[in-house]
Amino acid sequence: MNLTLYKEMLRVNLKGVMNYAFGSAFYILFMIWLYPGIGKNTKAIDELIAAMPQGVGNAFGLNNGFSSAEGFISGEYYGLILVLILSIVCVQMSTQLVARLVDRGSMAYLLATPTTRQKVALTQALVLTTALVVIMGVTTLAGFAGNAWFLHGGEYAFNGSRFLQMNTVAFLLFFAIGGISFLVSCASNDEKKALGISGAITFGFFTLDLLAKISGQMDGLRFLTLFTLYKPGEIVSGSASVLQACTVLVLIGLLAFTLGIQLFRRRDLPL
Amino acid sequence: MLKVEGLTKVFSNGKGIRDVSFTVNKGEVFGFLGPNGAGKSTTIRHIMGFMKPDKGSAAIQGLDTWKVQGTVQKHVGYLPGEIAFIDEMTGKSFLNFMLAMQGIKDTAKRDRLIERLQFDVSTPIRKMSKGMKQKVGIVAAFMHSPEVIILDEPTSGLDPLMQRVFIDLVLEEKAAGTTFLMSSHSFPEIERTCDRAAIIKEGILVTVKNIHELQSMQRKLFEVVFADTADADRFAASGMQVEAREGNMVRVAVQGNYNDFTRETGKYNIRSMDVSTQNLEDIFMNYYDREGAMQ
Repeated sequence: MNLTLYKEMLRVNLKGVMNYAFGSAFYILFMIWLYPGIGKNTKAIDELIAAMPQGVGNAFGLNNGFSSAEGFISGEYYGLILVLILSIVCVQMSTQLVARLVDRGSMAYLLATPTTRQKVALTQALVLTTALVVIMGVTTLAGFAGNAWFLHGGEYAFNGSRFLQMNTVAFLLFFAIGGISFLVSCASNDEKKALGISGAITFGFFTLDLLAKISGQMDGLRFLTLFTLYKPGEIVSGSASVLQACTVLVLIGLLAFTLGIQLFRRRDLPL
Repeated sequence: MLKVEGLTKVFSNGKGIRDVSFTVNKGEVFGFLGPNGAGKSTTIRHIMGFMKPDKGSAAIQGLDTWKVQGTVQKHVGYLPGEIAFIDEMTGKSFLNFMLAMQGIKDTAKRDRLIERLQFDVSTPIRKMSKGMKQKVGIVAAFMHSPEVIILDEPTSGLDPLMQRVFIDLVLEEKAAGTTFLMSSHSFPEIERTCDRAAIIKEGILVTVKNIHELQSMQRKLFEVVFADTADADRFAASGMQVEAREGNMVRVAVQGNYNDFTRETGKYNIRSMDVSTQNLEDIFMNYYDREGAMQ
C-alpha cells in the first residue's frame, strides 16, 4: 500500500465519513435515550406487536422483544437505519475511490507516479475498510456510552458482549458488501455505471432479504442475499451462529477485494 | 530513451493504432502530430502503461511500460490530455501530494515553476479555469526534474503569452538534457520546439521526419489584397497556385517557393496581407495525398 495516497484519500473523505459516523452515533444515542420510557411498558408493546401479521414483525425486527436495551436497538436501529447508512457509504465510497478517478482521468496522475496499480487499488480498498471501521467504531462506542449515560449502567438490561457481536457482524457484512461494490468499481470505466450496478446489487440484497422475511413462500430468496448472514435479532437473543456468519462474510469480502485489485491491475484504463 | 515498436491496439469499434514504431533519443524533443482522433493519445496511453498492447511494446530506458509498473515512473513526467484532478484539493495541496507521491522533498523547482507560470496555487481546483488547470498540470509534469517528459496537447487552454513561457520552459529543459515527447494537432506549436516529429493519421504512422523537412513540406495560404483590381488580375495570372479570388483579394498556396511569392507580390501595390490558419491535413495536404495514392 501507499501511505501518502492513503493519508490523502482519508483527508479528502474524512468529512463525509465523520458525518455518517456522528449521524449514526447520534441516532443510536437517541434510541437508547428513548428506551427507558419503553422499557417500563414492554408488555403492552409486545402485545401490540403480537397483534400484527408475523411477516411484518419479522421484516422490521419488531419480534426481537423490547425487554432488553440491545434487543430494542437491534430491531429499531441495526435492522434498518444502520443498514441503510452503511449501504450508502459502501456504494458511494467504493465508486468514488476507483471508478470516479478513472472516469474523470485523475487516476492518470496517480499511475504516473512511481507506484503500481496493485498498490493504488489496495490502498483505496483500505481507505474504504477504514471508513467502515470508523463508522462502526463510533457507533459501538456511542452504544456503550448511551448505556452508561441513559440506562445508568445496569438499571435496564443490556448485554454488552452480544451488542459487540452484533456490531462485529454488521461491520463484516459491510466489509463483504463493500468488497463487492469495490469489485464493480474496479471493473468500471464509468462512474455512473459503477454507482448504478453496485447500488442495484446492495439494495437488491436488502430487498430480497426483506421479501424473504415477510413472506414464508419466498423463503428461498434468503439464499440469494448476504443479509441472511446478519440477523441482529437472533444475535442479541443468542440464537445466531455468529462465528459461522463472520467466517463466510470475511471470506466473501477478502475474495471480492482481491478480485477487484487483480482486475484493476490487468485491465486497459481509458486515461 | 523511449522506444515504441510495432505498437498495435484495435478497439471494438475498429478504431485504434496499427503497427506504430518510433524512437526518441536522449535530449531530443519529439513531436507527435495528428488530427484529433488519429491515435496520439492512445499511443501515449500505451507509453504510460495504462493500456495493454495487442501487439508490440513501448519502452522507456529499456523498461517495458506495461510489464514494469512502478519503477519507470520515477524518470517520467506526464501531462494528460484531459486535465482532471481530485476536486476537493487546491492547486497547492495537489502539487504537494504529487511531490510526496514522487517521494521528493525539495520544493524549490515547484515554486520556481509556479512563479514562472504565474497562477494562484491556493485556488480550489474545481474553481479553476481550463488554462489554470493546464498550468497546474505542467508544474506537476516538470517539478520532479524527470528525464523524460510526456505531454499530451500541452498548450491547449493557454493564452499566447503563456504558450511562449511554456516553449521557453521546454527549451531550457531540453538544454539540460531532458527528453520530450509532445503531441499536438497544431504544427506551429511543434515547429518551435521539436527536433523531429511523427505524423499519425487514422492510427497509422505516416512519417517521421526532422522538423526542417516538415517545414519545407508544409503548405501555407496567403491572402493578398491589392490596391488595384488590374494588379490582382495580373498577379492571379502569374503562375502562382491560386486557391480563391474575390475582388481585389487573391488567395494563393505557397509550398517552399517563398522567393517566387515575394518576388511576384513585390511588383504590385499591396494593401494588406494575411496568412490563414489551416488544420494539419491542409498543411500537409500534398503529403497525405501522395501517401494515399501509394496505398
